[in-house]
Amino acid sequence: MALSIERNDGIMVAVAEGRVDGANAQEFQGELSEAIDPSDRAVILDLEEITYISSAGLRVILLTARALKRQNAELAVCSLSDAIREVFEISGFDKIIPVRESRPDAIASFQA
Amino acid sequence: MTLQKKYKILVVDDEPDLEPLLLQRMRRAIRAGRYEFVFAGNGLEALQRLDQDEEIDMVLSDINMPQMDGLTLLEQIPDVNPNIRSVIISAYGDMKNIRTAMNRGAFDFVTKPIDFKDLQVTIDRTLIHVEELREALMARDKLVTLQNELDVASNIQQSILPTELPREVDYQMFGSMKSARNVGGDFFDVVRLPDRRVGLAIADVSDKGVPAALFMMSTRTLLKGAAIGAINPGDVMETVNQLLCEDNEAAMFVTLLYAVYDPETGRLTYANGGHNPPLIVHQDNTSTLLPPTEGLALGLLPDYEYQQKTVTVEPGETLVLYTDGVTEAMNANEEEFGVERLQDIFTESYPREAHAITQLIFDAVDEFAGDTPQSDDVTCLTLCRG
Repeated sequence: MALSIERNDGIMVAVAEGRVDGANAQEFQGELSEAIDPSDRAVILDLEEITYISSAGLRVILLTARALKRQNAELAVCSLSDAIREVFEISGFDKIIPVRESRPDAIASFQA
Repeated sequence: MTLQKKYKILVVDDEPDLEPLLLQRMRRAIRAGRYEFVFAGNGLEALQRLDQDEEIDMVLSDINMPQMDGLTLLEQIPDVNPNIRSVIISAYGDMKNIRTAMNRGAFDFVTKPIDFKDLQVTIDRTLIHVEELREALMARDKLVTLQNELDVASNIQQSILPTELPREVDYQMFGSMKSARNVGGDFFDVVRLPDRRVGLAIADVSDKGVPAALFMMSTRTLLKGAAIGAINPGDVMETVNQLLCEDNEAAMFVTLLYAVYDPETGRLTYANGGHNPPLIVHQDNTSTLLPPTEGLALGLLPDYEYQQKTVTVEPGETLVLYTDGVTEAMNANEEEFGVERLQDIFTESYPREAHAITQLIFDAVDEFAGDTPQSDDVTCLTLCRG
């Protein structure tokens, strides 16, 4: 798992790579919450390079969404591979976390 | 690491000159409360002293002494206290005795005439080692205690899984859970309902280990209560979800599939809360996944309305409920077991018996994974309609 961060106009884009499972979920959560700035109004998690996400990984996304809500910010995920999309659909996470096709789509959704 | 408490050092020597000299040269450290010296005249006395005084942290011993020499003492010390470390005082250049002492477990040595500055460095280094050893032993004891508690927790968790599963003339069930760690976040349950109907559940809590096990226990209790109180799976899910959403600061959630089976008609009504869709194996050995119901893992969204659907399990058909530990089991090539391999188990003739089918699934997952360690709980619940 690797995380890289870009930021533009109050929107943070976090690109995650590799596997997120029970073994590194905590590390993922730590890095993500450290990266978020109180001035961020939106965070986009780009999951294109994520090969596997377990329920522990989904929980990190949920915790991040909740933390952002407390600072009146929003979270969206984008660029899901078919396998990751299936995980989101089966668990119902697509009903509580906005899923966008691509990064430009996600950015546009926050600029509207 | 710094040495903080007062350490007790047993000095063993038959020459009476050493005691006053040592006390004089170490007086600052003694006055500062860092060391306390106690003395013995030979190896035998030293062993008696060690036996009586458990507070002694290290031994500083001469080699040549009457009754019992320093080298024999070295061999005997571990029997009295294995955690004590010894420093040997030898004649300058007496490499033979120094080697023997080191081979018999001495931690270090100093040579005569004693350089007291060097002795103090040697004593401190030895004491630091003793202290580290004690900490490691304490950490080990804690781990052993924790491991024992986890073993008990594991037994409790396995014991709440139903063992008396229905074996009726017209249908039978079997289930099994294999945790990745001592305790797991998966469970299955079977609840007897009025009119021969039976409620069946399979669930997977986010994450693994102790936090998941705690959440799993409360989910299972809530489900049991809700299942007895309501007949519609959708209503059962809503009740459990509502209760799990309250005070869920840790943002744990559980995927849960709950179904009610009526053996008289074969009708199965189910609601899926974000769980892997069960597999239904038809008489012709083909199989299909149960159609999804608009569902969401439980504990995420209060007031969520869970939909339910009804299918018929025909005579000779088998229903397989499983957790993602089955379909996401990995092999050495990082491939997942997947739904297709699960379906492949049934493409040839297979025993129409719930226990045997569950075993087939576990064996297939084991064989696929090979030496790759199990990373998630594996759970399976099977229903065969006769």
